[in-house]
Amino acid sequence: MKLVDISDLNVSFSQHEGVVQAVRGVSLHLNEGESLGIVGESGSGKSVTCMAVLRLLREPPARITARRLDLEGTDVLTASPATLSALRGRVAAMIFQDPMTAFDPVFTIGHQIIETIRVHRRTGKAAARAEAGELLRMVEIKNATDVLAYYPHQLSGGMLQRAMIAMALSCRPRILIADEPTTALDVTIQAQILQLIKRLQAEMGMGLIMVTHDLGVVAETVDRVVVMYGGKVMEQGPVQEIFDDAKHPYTRALLGSMPGQTVGRQRLTEIKGASPNPVYPPTGCPFHPRCPEVEPRCARSMPEFSDLGADRQAACWRLQ
Amino acid sequence: MIAYILRRLVSISVTFFIVSVLVFLMMHAIPGGPFDAQDMPLSEAVRDKLMARLGLDKPLHVQYLSYMAGVLQGDWGVPYQSPGETVIELLARAWPPSLILGGLGVLIGVPLGILLGMAAALKRNTWIDYLASAIATLGLTVPVFVISMLLILVFAVWLNWLPASGWGEPKRWILPIIAYAAIPLATYARYTRSAMLDSLNKPFVTVLRAKGLSERRIIFQHVLRNSAIPMVTVFLPMFIGTATGSIFVEAMFRVPGLGSYFVSSITTRDYPLEMALILMITLMFSGAYLISDILYAWLNPRIRIGGRE
Ligand SMILES: Nc1ncnc2c1ncn2[C@@H]1O[C@H](COP(=O)(O)OP(=O)(O)OP(=O)(O)O)[C@@H](O)[C@H]1O
Ligand SMILES: [Mg+2]
Repeated sequence: MKLVDISDLNVSFSQHEGVVQAVRGVSLHLNEGESLGIVGESGSGKSVTCMAVLRLLREPPARITARRLDLEGTDVLTASPATLSALRGRVAAMIFQDPMTAFDPVFTIGHQIIETIRVHRRTGKAAARAEAGELLRMVEIKNATDVLAYYPHQLSGGMLQRAMIAMALSCRPRILIADEPTTALDVTIQAQILQLIKRLQAEMGMGLIMVTHDLGVVAETVDRVVVMYGGKVMEQGPVQEIFDDAKHPYTRALLGSMPGQTVGRQRLTEIKGASPNPVYPPTGCPFHPRCPEVEPRCARSMPEFSDLGADRQAACWRLQ
Repeated sequence: MIAYILRRLVSISVTFFIVSVLVFLMMHAIPGGPFDAQDMPLSEAVRDKLMARLGLDKPLHVQYLSYMAGVLQGDWGVPYQSPGETVIELLARAWPPSLILGGLGVLIGVPLGILLGMAAALKRNTWIDYLASAIATLGLTVPVFVISMLLILVFAVWLNWLPASGWGEPKRWILPIIAYAAIPLATYARYTRSAMLDSLNKPFVTVLRAKGLSERRIIFQHVLRNSAIPMVTVFLPMFIGTATGSIFVEAMFRVPGLGSYFVSSITTRDYPLEMALILMITLMFSGAYLISDILYAWLNPRIRIGGRE
């Protein structure tokens, strides 16, 4: 069974300025034990897609529709609040970008991990506490017993991110969704955290969705990539194929803008032009106003996906 | 923490001293004296004799020192407007009605305000929110004597359910308590709503949802706890402010409370009572703010336990 199965997901937010169309017809899936990267520039709808999977967006203002939105076979669109609570943290856990604001400042780290354990499982306080200590050791926190008694403000960003990972994994979820888990951290810490996530994913046999706008992170951690732009999926496929032979002009532009990376003889370039306005998205392919290979039909309608091999697709008129 | 409290106690003593000097000076700087009544003018000689007996003919610094010496020994003097009792006896007689009616007003108004504010925050932008906001705005903008008047008109005159005035049997307390409750209720409704919305929008709430906590648990165990920190700190000062009586409420409902003495002690140049009231209020507010600050630090781990490792 697919761990995450999304088909034609649309998410919009109604605001005074108009309807923000954050996600427009996204389809993607996550296989058992697989790690999937979601990449794209800021505002492309990566976080909103992940939040929608766990129904974490406030509705309204958010409005979610989908042909299918399943977590390990359970339809989350029609799930009751109780079912959702049971799924969150136990079937699918999520870690977030900013560890400094992710914990409730008035409770200790220990309290917040124990609380997570005891929400999902009948466990005595002492047993849960011992387990929380184990979890902290698992994320390579040395003075785990002390850290249990610390308040969030007493820990550094890197330590808090480790603690957040420990908390997310406390109920052995089948799926871990990591939304830019290293963006807010020091460069030196970033690699450690990525390594940690990768190791734990392998050890626990979880599926992983890693959201990032850093292709370097993708190259290091995931098996498969989904490239998003303007609330749509532009291309998806195994990571090596995408890096070696990107089919979509946006993916190529993204690879070209990667620091320290030259694709072919292409120089490092910023993608010219501005991100699409989510209230009035461009007609047709959202990338066409910035696309170096634009054709008239690109502005008229969005192309269908072309199948380019096993689990490999791209949506571009030039591939039709 | 102990050092902090000691420091605050010292600063309260200094404040107390400065206020006592300033009030003493200002009180005597206001033209006129206690025996300048217009309707029954006293002869110059009689007045001088009275003044001498009260020590009011002495230089100000002597008067101040002897007054403060008395205060420190628990002798707060005799109120000029009621010479049959001491200042302390007057306070012991007039304060309880204010304390009971005002205190109950706060104790009833604050929880109701919190409930109203919670409902408004949780049902944001619905009719509940708008109703709560309308009640809060009315409570804060309509003067308390207008509220009192309306209460009397509706419940005493038209419906004839409750007595319009007084003190005595508890049935008479109801209307003044409602009048006293209006401002605490409105203040707390607004405070609670904004504090809760503030907490609800914090990123940690999303994390709590993602962990699988129920909405109820998130609100009662996390959001309320975070919102409570700013809310507890206004409670004591509000309690003191209300439980010392309002001249308007007490006049409207003819409650024999403390409220009117705040004004009469000044207009009649009742120096001992005026000093006593102001010093008492100063002390009580200083104490209230001190306790609030300690509570705030105690509830807030970022202050109670400083430092990132
Ligand atoms: N709660 C919200 N209300 C209104 N608009 C929103 C909300 N959350 C996201 N959006 C909008 O939806 C679009 C997609 O946002 P999203 O957060 O998914 O981007 P992202 O790809 O995660 O970008 P980043 O790399 O900056 O995290 C953006 O235009 C954003 O402004
Ligand atoms: Mg994001």
